[in-house]
Amino acid sequence: MVSTNGRTLQYREALREAMEEEMRIDERIFLMGEEVGEYNGAYKVSQGMLEEFGPRRIVDSPISETGFGGLGVGAAMYGLRPIIEFMSWSFCLVAADQIINNAPKMLYMSGGQFGCPAVFRGNNGAGGQLGSTHSWVVESLFSHVPGLKLAVPSTPRDAKGLLKAGIRDPDPFFNLESERMLGMGLHGDKDYSRYQHANKWAPPENDKDFIIELCKADIKKPGTDCTIVTDGRPVHFALEAAEALEEEGIDVEVVDVRTYRPLDIETIAGSVRRTGYAVVVDQSWPFASVGAEVASQIYEHCFDDLDNQVLRVHNDDIPAPYSRQREQDMLPNAKKIVDAVRSVTYNA
Amino acid sequence: MAVTVEMPKLSDTMEEGTLIKWAVKVGDTVSAGDHLADVETDKATMELQAFDDGTVAKLILDEGATVPVGQVILILAEDGESVEDAAKTEVSTAPAPAKEEPPAEPASAGGSDEPEKAPEPAKPEPQKPAPAPAKPIAAATPTPSPQAPASGSVKISPLARKLADEHGLDLNKIVGTGPDGRIIKRDVLKAAQDGTARPSAGGASAPPMAAPQAIALESKTTQVPGMRKTIAKRLVESKTTVPHFQVSVAINMDPLMEMRATLNQRLASQGIKLSVNDFITRAVALAATQHPVINSSWMGDTIVQHGTVNVGTAISLPEERGGGLVVAVCRDVQNKSMMQISSEVKELAGAARGRGLSPEQMSDSTITISNLGMPQFGVTQFNAIVNPPNAAIVAVGAAIEKPVVRDVYGEKKIVIGHEMNATLSGDHRVIDGASAAEYLTTFRSLLENPVGLLV
Amino acid sequence: MTATNASPSDVSNNSRPSDKLSDDQLVKMLYDMMLIRRFEEKTMQAYQQAKIGGFCHIYIGQEASAVGSISALKDDDPIVGAYRDHGFALARGMHPNYCMAEMYGKITGCAKGKGGSMHMFDRDRHMYGGHAIVGGQCPLGTGLGFSIQYEEKDNVALCYLGDGALNQGGFFESMNLAAIWNLPVIFVLENNNYSMGTHIARGTAMANDLSAKAQAFGMRYAECDGLDVLDVYNTFSDQVAMTRNAKNPQWERGNWDEIEYSREGSNPGPAFVNVKTYRYQGHSMSDPQKYRSKDEVGEYKERDPINILVNHLIEAGKATQDQCHELDSKAKQVSKDAITFAEESPDMPTEEMFTDVYANPFGPYIKGGLPNIITNENSGE
Ligand SMILES: Cc1ncc(C[n+]2csc(CCOP(=O)(O)OP(=O)(O)O)c2C)c(N)n1
Ligand SMILES: [Mg+2]
Repeated sequence: MVSTNGRTLQYREALREAMEEEMRIDERIFLMGEEVGEYNGAYKVSQGMLEEFGPRRIVDSPISETGFGGLGVGAAMYGLRPIIEFMSWSFCLVAADQIINNAPKMLYMSGGQFGCPAVFRGNNGAGGQLGSTHSWVVESLFSHVPGLKLAVPSTPRDAKGLLKAGIRDPDPFFNLESERMLGMGLHGDKDYSRYQHANKWAPPENDKDFIIELCKADIKKPGTDCTIVTDGRPVHFALEAAEALEEEGIDVEVVDVRTYRPLDIETIAGSVRRTGYAVVVDQSWPFASVGAEVASQIYEHCFDDLDNQVLRVHNDDIPAPYSRQREQDMLPNAKKIVDAVRSVTYNA
Repeated sequence: MAVTVEMPKLSDTMEEGTLIKWAVKVGDTVSAGDHLADVETDKATMELQAFDDGTVAKLILDEGATVPVGQVILILAEDGESVEDAAKTEVSTAPAPAKEEPPAEPASAGGSDEPEKAPEPAKPEPQKPAPAPAKPIAAATPTPSPQAPASGSVKISPLARKLADEHGLDLNKIVGTGPDGRIIKRDVLKAAQDGTARPSAGGASAPPMAAPQAIALESKTTQVPGMRKTIAKRLVESKTTVPHFQVSVAINMDPLMEMRATLNQRLASQGIKLSVNDFITRAVALAATQHPVINSSWMGDTIVQHGTVNVGTAISLPEERGGGLVVAVCRDVQNKSMMQISSEVKELAGAARGRGLSPEQMSDSTITISNLGMPQFGVTQFNAIVNPPNAAIVAVGAAIEKPVVRDVYGEKKIVIGHEMNATLSGDHRVIDGASAAEYLTTFRSLLENPVGLLV
Repeated sequence: MTATNASPSDVSNNSRPSDKLSDDQLVKMLYDMMLIRRFEEKTMQAYQQAKIGGFCHIYIGQEASAVGSISALKDDDPIVGAYRDHGFALARGMHPNYCMAEMYGKITGCAKGKGGSMHMFDRDRHMYGGHAIVGGQCPLGTGLGFSIQYEEKDNVALCYLGDGALNQGGFFESMNLAAIWNLPVIFVLENNNYSMGTHIARGTAMANDLSAKAQAFGMRYAECDGLDVLDVYNTFSDQVAMTRNAKNPQWERGNWDEIEYSREGSNPGPAFVNVKTYRYQGHSMSDPQKYRSKDEVGEYKERDPINILVNHLIEAGKATQDQCHELDSKAKQVSKDAITFAEESPDMPTEEMFTDVYANPFGPYIKGGLPNIITNENSGE
């Protein structure tokens, strides 16, 4: 059992801590979104923040993603530091023009005069049986666009560190959180310690300067036999798979990309060069996805180091079904990852 | 100073425009904003407006004409200038520089009343700015591996190849255990450990996938032997003075092959074996009797039609006899039986390759055969050079098995059959295409109904 | 509550804000309009010579709208608008050289040749850009108003939009947000009757009474003669004054039933202003204008915004015919110089393609203290 200093900090609390700390430092930061204030956050991420910061800085917006998404862009151009919360990234699509046509291009189109230091954040990925419209994963859609930065944190520690970095960053920053992980960390060590390196998973206490640099992938579990490259929630599937594979004598290395834009290909390639095998796991649909991009970059950087082709584990190429079991089936999971690792290492 | 009006660019994609209609005529006074003409763009018909004041001096385009964007289409006389003078303004019909080019020269920034300069005419070959240097941002692009590609037969993962290379192992001696026998990392490591797959002595460090062993070609210069000289001279003469033409036919050889097999079986006891070439020789001669024009010679002022058919056969000589080519002549073939022809040609060929042919055995051919249909060549079709003074040479390829359409009990079917191509090269001064075709038709029908060759 | 067409000049029609304009200020307004006119003529010519590419929208006919409204602003009041933006840039004081060079795609352009005709930005003059997605600028303008209120400044944001943008969802969302938070923003409808070839009556419900748009959000409505720069000026002087220092009623948490949204007199708030104007040229450079008659265009040209002001100045004895001519010559020359400047300027160099994608391409991230995030300070490289 490894120590986490006894902190019991949930993923959602880590996000809140990040915002609160930064808001205390920087008066220009405000949080705007649906139900962030009086309701205490649809998912309780912003619980209590209205009390501390008041209605000027914790702004309940009506259901107008185009309106308040674009307002965030305008405010960021003006010099404020908006944090725009989408209740779910599934709902950001109505604001697509503002967040992917305006935000990431403003600096460029104005010849460097107006940037957009705004943060857009919210839940990403399948919740539980929400059906297809509410089960969006947007990393592949948005990573396509130059000018924005995008993180998919997998632990409370990363959630806090990455969000703080994103708030301080002068470019538009998309934080893709997971409804399914918001409660992670509730039971402290018990939640964190299932895996070997769990002690890293709670952010340090009383360190308002703790940030995690963007573009720094993290080796969540070192190993020698095969590299699994993944992000966010699937990091946990990969770690679960790693335990099963350990029993078979296959020691995998789990690399958490943490940010897709920018992508720390150095760390990923370094790992693949050591192991010779790569399985790329994401929650996207397979066509033109972040996983496809990572696989392609592995080929570019590690061609002579590969003993087999790169395998991918991803969503089935269908809209998310409602049925509980079928929804589980379409998502990546530990079993699919185990199979892929066996196959790619010629142990099938 | 006159003002010129150019074909305007009226849309983001327009490259040329058609002048539909002039809205002004020479002598009209116009001011900025006035409608000068209707111009058809790639999108629509639009009004062309004046940007300057003046008097129309000259309409350069006819209605209906299409010109590139930037070409001068109208001249305006400015205040105080006579229409006649302005009309004389020299204008280029070349379009103004396209926007990809840097402006040839900045427009004048002079006094406020200085008129617009006509755009610089385009240089005949517009100079594009040098292609931009490669962009500086992207992460290092991996340089392609300098290694030679895997030889087609060895399946191996990139990592295994690199490891085998490092260990200096011979890939052909490593057993692959991956899918479809792919050599993978563990196979190479095992081979390295076991000491198997060491490359043969001397090649210790040869990369497993290196290029095949170098083949040294000796370079040397030799005197051209007399016969080569003669051959060269005659072929050059033929190729350069005889107007060659070629006509080809494909011949169904099934009946002949069948008959030949039966005949040879019967003749085997006598030590006789008829070759396909023997049949061809006779067919060439018999067909020539029916089409004497093929059996002729161009003599400058006269054309000689020969009274007999002497068939020359091109025979290549072995290297040890100095190589080269001779034409052995079998005389009066039309009057000889298959058996006679067969034994004579065999003797000639033997002589040619052995002691040599007498001058008589090499002269007076009236038509030639060049046969590259021997199985070791597998040539199916080729063109030969006419052997003067013969007017025709027949080049035959191999009789090969191939899918062919045949009438099988009244039904067209694709079956496996023997087919042979024959190409006649003719001297066009003597033979016409149609005569050649007629000759080949007879030739083909003789071979396709080979019994006729026996009588 | 009902929207009101509140204009103090209606109350005391003898004294209008424009009466207080000095002769110099009036002459400046005339010159700005003339400059836009002459500059746009040069723009058209350069476009037709294939020196300018892309889509290009000419502001001729609408000069009074930009000049009249911007003249009523403080220098640091932010504005944002659509793609028909050369006129704003010039009215806001952008040097014509930089505006023309931008259209030429030159490094000397206001956005280094990265934006083009439809994307004119000028940070120093608080011009937050021309924006080419119809209606896309409405939420941005709302964000400017939000920021002003957040920082408790006394500025007003002007968000210009064409009549075509009236039908975009982003416009309605923006109006709603501005209304519920009482933001210091004015939505300026540059109503030139057409979005491309679609007459406003064919695309917009209640086109005959656009006050309904404001009324739906309980917002102040005003309209003006967009061909008369002084009417535009007067209307905006009033409206801007009634928008400055708008306070957010939701900053007081409490009894929502009793939120007070009255925006008259001492209680300023956002507005929607309908500037009735007209464009002489086609929608863009490739528009054959089959959807309107020449007579219609001709009628509007009879009421040319520049002539209206010239006549006014001469009648009022504030300028002579010769002075006006001189101003026009100057405008012509300055426009011509802008062409020369643009032609002589170097192209955007290849290296420049890759700058301004990110303000901070990879870090490092400053630990502790206030992070270094002011974007325009990062833009100098
Ligand atoms: C979202 C979107 N749809 C369509 C277009 C194409 N478009 C460009 S301008 C325009 C007409 C807009 O007219 P209006 O808002 O009245 O402005 P005006 O051109 O009259 O200044 C259209 C349809 C666009 N740029 N953006
Ligand atoms: Mg319009």
